[in-house]
Amino acid sequence: MGRRKAKTMGQTIAEKLLSRHNLAGTDACAGDLVEARIDGAMCHYHADEPMIEMAAQAGFKDGLPRVWDPDRVFVLMDHHQPTLSQALADVNARVRKEVERLGIKCFHDSEPGIAHQMMADYGLMRPGELVVGNDSHCISYGALNVGGTGMTRADMFYALLFGELWFQVPESIKITLTGHKPTYPIAKDIVLHLAGLYGEDVAASMSIEYTGPLVPDLSIDSRMCLAAHGVELGAKFAMFPADAVTHDFLRTRTDRAFESVAADPDATYAREITVDIDEMPFVVAAPHQFGNIVPIDQVAGTAIQQAQIGSCANGRFEDIEIAARVLRGRKVARGVRFLISPASQSVYLQCLRAGLIEQLIEAGAQVITPGCGICQPRVGFLSDGEVCITATTRNFKGRKGSPNAEIYLGGPLTVAAAALAGEIVNPKEVLRGL
Amino acid sequence: MGFDLNSAIRGRVWKFGDSIETDAINPYYRYPTMAELKLHTMEAYRPEFPQQVRPGDVLVAGRNFGCGSSRPGLVLREVGIAAIVVESVSRLFLRNNIARALPIFMAPGVTDIVDDGDSLQIDYQSATVRNPATGRHVALRKFPPLIEQIFAAGGLPEFAFQRYQREQGPVPPSR
Ligand code: SF4
Repeated sequence: MGRRKAKTMGQTIAEKLLSRHNLAGTDACAGDLVEARIDGAMCHYHADEPMIEMAAQAGFKDGLPRVWDPDRVFVLMDHHQPTLSQALADVNARVRKEVERLGIKCFHDSEPGIAHQMMADYGLMRPGELVVGNDSHCISYGALNVGGTGMTRADMFYALLFGELWFQVPESIKITLTGHKPTYPIAKDIVLHLAGLYGEDVAASMSIEYTGPLVPDLSIDSRMCLAAHGVELGAKFAMFPADAVTHDFLRTRTDRAFESVAADPDATYAREITVDIDEMPFVVAAPHQFGNIVPIDQVAGTAIQQAQIGSCANGRFEDIEIAARVLRGRKVARGVRFLISPASQSVYLQCLRAGLIEQLIEAGAQVITPGCGICQPRVGFLSDGEVCITATTRNFKGRKGSPNAEIYLGGPLTVAAAALAGEIVNPKEVLRGL
Repeated sequence: MGFDLNSAIRGRVWKFGDSIETDAINPYYRYPTMAELKLHTMEAYRPEFPQQVRPGDVLVAGRNFGCGSSRPGLVLREVGIAAIVVESVSRLFLRNNIARALPIFMAPGVTDIVDDGDSLQIDYQSATVRNPATGRHVALRKFPPLIEQIFAAGGLPEFAFQRYQREQGPVPPSR
């Protein structure tokens, strides 16, 4: 357990959040282990693991006897709709039965979409809350000033039963963003830049606090991308302040009261980093690691067979809008499969209403049903020797099928520019023409 | 099976560096069964480990042990590792180990007091790990009572079952 600091010392967002939820009612300092009350528990398509498997292992022969609060458990059987296989259909059916028996009200199993985006779309979380789930990208909830983080299946089982979990209070790293308001969605480019400069464990087990003069200019879409990628930088939380942009986003989505959480000015940080986006070069993550960052000019000219925009990191309106803007009145390069998958039905509808889908289809892109398909080897497999550039979360060997395929990660502008050119290009040129 | 944190542990040390990832500990993509895993765990760093590890040995490692995907280190118990002592541990590896009651201890400085093959003594009660040959020792971080109870119960699901019965009365036998 960490040493209790003098009462006068300021708290980081993580310390304040966990103090507020600490069952012991005492202040939580970095290094402490606390038992905390949680405000929400999200289970995605592996919901059978905490709900059914772990219950049986614990000794509940008839399944979970209850969930602690049926209003605060969200079962979003997202990721893969329509159902991809017999096995998944059977899992869904078992979970559906349990959800009914336990009286869980928030259940979606007939709507395609990525759970994390649906959590935001449906206003299932609010600033200052502590929300856990059985997926590492639950960290994306920090975009809305929500302490979101991924848990193991055993932890989720415990959370479902009691609404409590233990936490080790993380140290915090402050990342200050400065520069002019960007003219394209820049969040992914910022994260890749950070991974390149500081390594992909720069925030290992820490809480990232994004702050600085650029933050008010960042949309919720951009914040969700930055927060989701907290996990690719090793973090436990990735928090944004709750500001006018946050309130604007939530106004139509929730009417529950909330109390947002901000750091004290004299809070202690393990590390502080500043990124000036005006000075930021275009980079990509080369195969096969997120941290394998190279300047774009080093790989420019690499021919591609597939380009993708989607996932819990880049499947939002602004990511798809930039693709439409780049392609408007033009065509995807011959022989390139350009897959675009909105993160949820709401995002899809938003794009449709803005006319983006029509422009993209006219340009030769394929629009894929919302979900995780293009982020995994589920939709759009790659063959040996093929090259894909993608604005999704990961580029591990074999993530898109063949282990002998090459996956580059780039921002949505970089991906769209490559889809147009048929090869990786520095998007500076394209940007000038927009 | 419960684990008594207070039982003294003394064993021969296998010493590893920083950021040992779960792919090395538990390469289940390539070796899907426990029998195969036991023949390959940690070989990425020490090819002789699977053959030469003996029941009762202790694994010492540096920072960020168990980084990478969320995967438990059950295989280390299966090959006989009595305890893991590290400078620091990745968050989901720690949670997985506590959830399965696999003894893991955080003792900043431990890599300075032992070398590979030394003996290491873990005394949870007095919160120290010690190299009996040199007498050098560092503090280990005690867990709060909740975590100690999870170890005693044999893991988190088992602990949850006990707590539920304590609060709600016995769970009736299966329908
Ligand atoms: S989009 Fe990809 S990274 Fe995000 S939740 Fe789905 S599978 Fe995971």
